Amino acid sequence: MKQDQDVLLQIEDLRIEGYSDEKWIEIVHGVDLTLKRGQVMGLIGESGAGKSTIGLAAMGFARDGCRISGGSIEFDGMELTTTSESDRRALRGSRIAYVAQSAAASFNPAHKLIDQHTEAPVHYRIRKRMESQEDAMQLYERLRLPNPQEIGFRYPHQVSGGQLQRAMTAMAMACRPDLIIFDEPTTALDVTTQIEVLAAIRDIVDQFNTAAIYITHDLAVVAQMSDVIKVLLKGNEVEEADTETMLKSPKEDYTKSLWAVRSFQRDEKKRPENTQPIMSVQNVDAAYGPVKVLQDVSFDVYPGMTVAVVGESGSGKSTTARCITGLLPPTSGKIVANGMELPPSYKQRTKDQLRQAQMIYQMADTALNPKVRICDIIGRPAAFYGGLKGTKLKSRVDELLDLIELEPSKYYHRYPPELSGGQKQRIGIARALAAEPSFIICDEVTSALDQLVAEGILKLLDRLQRELNLAYMFITHDLATVRSIADEVVVMKEGRVVEQGPKGEMFTPPHHPYTDLLLSSVPEMDPNWLTTVLEERGVDNIGEAANV
Amino acid sequence: MSGVLSIVLKRLGLGLLTLLIISILIFGAVEMLPGDMAEAVLGQGATAENLAALRAQMGLDQPAPIRYLDWLSGAVVGDFGISAVSGASVAETIGPRFRNTLFLAAYAAVIAVPVAIILGVVVALLRDTLFDRVANVATLTSISSPEFFLGYILILYLSVKTGMFPAIAKLNDGMTFFELLDRTFLPALTMVLVVVAHMMRMTRASIINLLASPYIEMARLKGTPAWKVIVKHALPNAWAPIINVIALNLAYLITGVVLVEVVFVYPGIGQLLVDAVTKRDFPVVQACCLIFAATFILLNLAADVGAILTNPRLRHPK
Amino acid sequence: MSYFIVGYYALLIGASCLAAFYQKRGVFLILFSLTLISFIVGIVGGESSLWFITLCAAALALAAGTSFAFREFLVIVLPTELSKAVKTAPLTAAFGLFVIMTYAIAGVFAPIIAPFGEAEVISSAFAPADENMILGADQLGRDLFSRLVYGARNTVGLALTATICAFLLGAVGGMLAATIGGWFDQFMGRLVDVIMSVPSLIFALLLLSIFGTNVAILVIIIAVIYAPRVFRLTRAVAGNVVVMDYIEAARLRGEGTFYLIRREILPNSTAPLIAEFGLEFCFVFLLVAGLSFLGLGIQPPTADWGSMVRENATLISFGEITPLFPAAAIALLTVAVNFVVDWMLYRSSGLKS
Repeated sequence: MKQDQDVLLQIEDLRIEGYSDEKWIEIVHGVDLTLKRGQVMGLIGESGAGKSTIGLAAMGFARDGCRISGGSIEFDGMELTTTSESDRRALRGSRIAYVAQSAAASFNPAHKLIDQHTEAPVHYRIRKRMESQEDAMQLYERLRLPNPQEIGFRYPHQVSGGQLQRAMTAMAMACRPDLIIFDEPTTALDVTTQIEVLAAIRDIVDQFNTAAIYITHDLAVVAQMSDVIKVLLKGNEVEEADTETMLKSPKEDYTKSLWAVRSFQRDEKKRPENTQPIMSVQNVDAAYGPVKVLQDVSFDVYPGMTVAVVGESGSGKSTTARCITGLLPPTSGKIVANGMELPPSYKQRTKDQLRQAQMIYQMADTALNPKVRICDIIGRPAAFYGGLKGTKLKSRVDELLDLIELEPSKYYHRYPPELSGGQKQRIGIARALAAEPSFIICDEVTSALDQLVAEGILKLLDRLQRELNLAYMFITHDLATVRSIADEVVVMKEGRVVEQGPKGEMFTPPHHPYTDLLLSSVPEMDPNWLTTVLEERGVDNIGEAANV
Repeated sequence: MSGVLSIVLKRLGLGLLTLLIISILIFGAVEMLPGDMAEAVLGQGATAENLAALRAQMGLDQPAPIRYLDWLSGAVVGDFGISAVSGASVAETIGPRFRNTLFLAAYAAVIAVPVAIILGVVVALLRDTLFDRVANVATLTSISSPEFFLGYILILYLSVKTGMFPAIAKLNDGMTFFELLDRTFLPALTMVLVVVAHMMRMTRASIINLLASPYIEMARLKGTPAWKVIVKHALPNAWAPIINVIALNLAYLITGVVLVEVVFVYPGIGQLLVDAVTKRDFPVVQACCLIFAATFILLNLAADVGAILTNPRLRHPK
Repeated sequence: MSYFIVGYYALLIGASCLAAFYQKRGVFLILFSLTLISFIVGIVGGESSLWFITLCAAALALAAGTSFAFREFLVIVLPTELSKAVKTAPLTAAFGLFVIMTYAIAGVFAPIIAPFGEAEVISSAFAPADENMILGADQLGRDLFSRLVYGARNTVGLALTATICAFLLGAVGGMLAATIGGWFDQFMGRLVDVIMSVPSLIFALLLLSIFGTNVAILVIIIAVIYAPRVFRLTRAVAGNVVVMDYIEAARLRGEGTFYLIRREILPNSTAPLIAEFGLEFCFVFLLVAGLSFLGLGIQPPTADWGSMVRENATLISFGEITPLFPAAAIALLTVAVNFVVDWMLYRSSGLKS
């Protein structure tokens, strides 16, 4: 019976229904889950896989419009599906705690952090108010929040996102629960902030030997955090194994497709000689109102080459794209295309200048008008710039659809919402190609896609580059993408170019300190990555640091 | 606090500016009359002497900007000039009637506000139940009915057929407060019916909106009991929407009163305005419109200032 | 105790028991609370009040039955996509559609349906109902029923025209403001704030006192007063569309404002705009009715519901319900439109999530 005592949470054949279109539809189809004390399980899957729903069900909780329709959830010997709501509620906060995705939205704006922290322990009479405040400060210190004595007395909007996420982890720890559900706690954060939060979470969970369910869509993150990984797809379990096994030898095809490391890698091209850059950004400054967002940004893009612009959110990489396209006229500096200076605003540019530079967007959902047919989306630029009409236009659209490897007869009359994410992104590419450009800005084009689909898009873009001699400016935060497709790399931080050069040089040290920080903060699949990085940075264990 | 103060001051300034523009609009609109005010008042059969006399009396020989400034400076201290029809002071005509209107609106508000907010919260908590659906249909019906429809139904059933309340809200001097309440019960009830329906729907919508916030879910996931979720987590954030609902509906009460006053022959400013419009008594029309607009703007202003003052993000700046 | 009372309670209690037996919780709650209410009302108001409850229940049942039948009818008649939507419509929405259709027919075919002309004096003033006049005569001896039917044409027609004008003005302004942005957007926003800071009825009274009351001026005034509401909504809806990447793509292509509005923004804002049109109509309709009631709307002898209420109001003090018919006609149409709008808003909000 010792084995049974070891089991903290046992879910069997869990079924959950959601209410939509006036009827209940099953969204989780019989998932089993066993979690031992002190164990951390990673739940991984795409959006719509039912990860969060299962996580909440582990607390005996279903969101409005959802209901647990079958199966059993046994927490430490207590059957949650049949106990009374008040018994279930007594578990929440005290023995099972929850850390939400957006800490900024999940803290009540009307109360101080520490008052929200002490609410549960005081309510459950675990600690008195003052004791609980003392405890909160200690937890803040362990989580390496700045000013642990004082930060709790601030209001949520007075604290930054990464700090809030750590404060929320501290709040979850307030009653020393047996189980914590982490629901994508670092998704909204930048990579350099994410690494701090990950380290803090991992160490505190370790120290108190708390069991945890860690929900995420990021494989590299889950590899750092969990002992066991469970892969979900559309409310079904795909497979489960301990982290080592799962990473080394996944069984199911779906998992393999998720794990597939970028196999696509292209050799670096050298700048062509005796040609001028097709697009040249020269000493550009830009501002939103009084706020300066770009300072002295310069780089060149040569025909047939790919320049990757890398940086965190707020680094100015998308703003640079807006300056090039003329959506945000620079306050000083020049945008030069083919040796000719472009007017700062797109409104003053000629049709031909506009045609030359096209754009492919990150979110294909918002990049394609859902109420316009595919043939019109692709046909419009061809008609607008090329003046094509009737059968000529139709054959051009067919040609473009062939080019992006979608069957013309099948997709010609469809609307975007009927297509998958990858197909939509291909349509976005076709729309850019329809203008017959020489330069294309790709703004995070693969970051919203699954690995395999993303790889298909990268291969397509590479093929098109060779066939049509296109130049790409590739905006991304994903270094794997940079490795596979870039010829030259530009690293940006806070509106400035930190470092730039050919890909080979950029990936071999020595780096600029920021490039180093950025490169090392991007999670890798290796389960020991986080530990290694922290050691390299000279902090091996946050908990120890706090205990000293 | 200085941040909040400057925001509040800015909002107050904007309110004053709006009021100023409205006063220009009200004054300017009358200037757009074909001919002038005197011709419009006296009609086609007016003799030249009569016209001249009236023009002199109303100061129409002055240029428009000067007359506007005169009018505005008078209006600020409560002097709205002389009625073009009766020759009596506009301020004296309006004064007691404005008090009556305010009394009626206050009467309705005292009943409507608590009832509507309590019902609105209850309906929000019971959302998607049968009770909620019945309430939805009932409030929609009430909102959709013109005030005079509700008013006449109440007269028919509560006054003519059963004789419980007087149908005509005539006021005399020397009435006791209780008599006053009894006399004005039906008009007040009519307004209560409409306003409660509006307020209930607005309260319901804002409470449901609030309950969908992630921090409410977080509170529930911390095991906070339901009543505490409402009192401690929802309520501190609900003041702004609730203040907004109250102010908007008070504003509605002040203007919705026009039709109700006509139905119940109640001696208020609304009825006065309608009479003045039919008789084309422009000084009275201008004064009434300015008073209505000012009340409306002030209430909206109060709502915004209330929302600013109760917003924790603004109260505790970074 | 009469047979009626015995039957009344027997039916209610029997039905509640059946509902309880078949576990229909909602139905049971309604029926049983109705029984309890009937006890109280019956004791206070006597048998007549129970009759009143019965009549109300019967009217509700009739309305529900009609709505149900009408919904089934629509499901069969309409093309597949529409009928799919109608199938899930609540009964209130079906009722609303039914009422709107009835009014439309009455308005369009008024001269055929009405037995007499709208200004035709056919009997003495306030003549009671007889076989010629199902609702009796008004204060001048005109047939009330005929005037009600013509009212559907005049009052609703006026409100509809005014709404369309207000809508075109506001929607075009809102789209332009959202697409062009910059100072134009700012200016329009401020202008709208100012217009909306005067209560609409008061504004209408002020303008009517100056420009007099004729139908064309009425339409223009109402359009000016209500366009800002439409503007705000359109600006908000189009504002959400304008930030989409496909709009940026079209702009960078060099497309003009007109193309952007017609091909990219408009197709993505129709659903909320249609719902807003319904709401707007309700506001305009109530304002028109209110103005007519005050004697400042459509002028006699044209049949108009608002002024009909006012003209016949004296009858109320004799306990007659005749003046309530035109008022009820106004309320019924507004309720109907609101029911439909409510359903459409619910649908669009449900589809988003």
